[in-house]
Amino acid sequence: MPRHDTPSSASPAGGVSRRSVIRGAATAGAAGLAVTALGGALSPAAAAAANRPASTGASASAGAGAAARPGAGAAAPAGPGAPTGPIVVHVRNAASGDIEMFSGISQTRIHDTDLAARIARAIG
Amino acid sequence: MSSHREAPEISKDPVADSTDVYAFVSPDKPGTVTLIANYIPLQGPASGPNFYEFGDDVLYEIHVDNNGDGQADLSYQFRFTTTVRDPDTFLYNTGPIESLSSANWNRVQTYSVGVVKGGSFIGLGRGLACPPCNIGPLSTPDYPSLAAAAVHSLGGGISVFAGQRAEGFYVDLGAIFDLGNLRPFENLHAQFGLNVFSGPAAGVNATNHLNVHSIALQVPASALTVSGHPTIGVWTTASRQRVTLWDADQGQNVSSGPFRQVSRLGNPLFNEVIVPLGKKDLWNSLPPDDDKQFAGYVTAPGLASLLPGLYPGVFPNLAALVSSGKPRADLEAILLTGIPSGLIPGFTNLTGTVLADMLRLNTSIPATPAAKQNIYGLLGGDPGGFPNGRRVTDDVVAIELRAIAGVTYPLVDKSFTPDAAAGKLTDGLTPASVSAPYLGSFPYLGVPYSGFDNPS
Repeated sequence: MPRHDTPSSASPAGGVSRRSVIRGAATAGAAGLAVTALGGALSPAAAAAANRPASTGASASAGAGAAARPGAGAAAPAGPGAPTGPIVVHVRNAASGDIEMFSGISQTRIHDTDLAARIARAIG
Repeated sequence: MSSHREAPEISKDPVADSTDVYAFVSPDKPGTVTLIANYIPLQGPASGPNFYEFGDDVLYEIHVDNNGDGQADLSYQFRFTTTVRDPDTFLYNTGPIESLSSANWNRVQTYSVGVVKGGSFIGLGRGLACPPCNIGPLSTPDYPSLAAAAVHSLGGGISVFAGQRAEGFYVDLGAIFDLGNLRPFENLHAQFGLNVFSGPAAGVNATNHLNVHSIALQVPASALTVSGHPTIGVWTTASRQRVTLWDADQGQNVSSGPFRQVSRLGNPLFNEVIVPLGKKDLWNSLPPDDDKQFAGYVTAPGLASLLPGLYPGVFPNLAALVSSGKPRADLEAILLTGIPSGLIPGFTNLTGTVLADMLRLNTSIPATPAAKQNIYGLLGGDPGGFPNGRRVTDDVVAIELRAIAGVTYPLVDKSFTPDAAAGKLTDGLTPASVSAPYLGSFPYLGVPYSGFDNPS
């Protein structure tokens, strides 16, 4: 089963401080394969996988605290399963299934080797 | 420079590059504090057809710590929106821009402002107009009036302005970054055996006739402070969303994900002069309460080690101090904690023990009347100036040069005698080196130079 991390974009009100958010960004390294999904450009299989309920649930919790964090006032995801804008998928490490997904001002990070493999096949 | 292009990564992103922060008790409006954050460095005024503007994709913030923990208690946030009224013309304006609602102005920028306080976002204003850039006598015939109209009242005694201003920070970049040359003393420079200079010369203000973009707030001091803590710590940040993609189909960038800090500025020259090259980008991404890891660069600044070698025989006492290995507790106080009481009679801007680079302003100290201001601030006996906050006219280059050269070390070690030259260090510039006059009222920085007249 995919393992889903706590989204790092939560607001102070959501229990993750701005400070820890910034620190997390400072220590995060870019690695692996980047795949973008702009206006449905992601392959259907990968797009479907990216919208699995568990994954979007994590995004929703990130969006819930948007009003109190930097960028408040910008468009936030409408809710589970319904990101309103482009989705960007960053496969940090295809072998381990380490994947970040971005939509609006939210992000979520999952570990899903099956999804990562399918994305890699789609772009390969 | 204070913080213009001070780190490798941000030097490639001028729209998000913070250049200067000012914080001072408003001289013409007692009871209020003025906070200014400048961005987009070194703007040539003749910058058409695409004149400078804030980034719609950048989150700009001015932060205030009012309890000394190095964390923001108030974060004023600014988001900009650019509108092109007629995409079928190549022109920024199609006639004179005589008001902020002029139909002749084709590329218009507005902004929203709010404050994050106690974990909640409070909107303060939306759809606020920026002025256009200062183009010239045909396009912007009465620029001062245009800019004045772009000073908005947000209620609660808060005023705001966001737009182009004349660069008020004066510095001899060309000399300083030519291996630490200070033109007034260049004959004393080691010159690496090249013997280029035989006598002193006047400083050259590298930022003169250049513009910058300012975000300025004037806020009642009571709204920034908490009871018993008159000293605030101020810094600015710019953040971008984690992902930016070039959408070739639309011919534009697309951003996604949460915002991450890419630029920071508190005390002038901190990242530029104190933090080593390999850590400048990291520093820009961190909050002030993480600055303990940089404290060693403050207490043993590289520039203090360089000065005796660059100017042989001029700084023997500084050389001895450096050789002693004694930590520069004076610089730590000035830059990282604030100056505790007892060091300077009647003065303190200590915020606590947390080591954090913030511009500290004791708001209980009244503004110094203009006639009595000293551009060397506290070093010149003027408690209304840097490092008690920073006014637009303060000579922060000279102040920090002198402090690093040892002038402030007697604050913590009265047995130390600064070198005679330390108290005279300057790059040879003063506020008079800025051609555009500073203003006596908000937003204090001068009318931007017009493209028609600059360069002349």
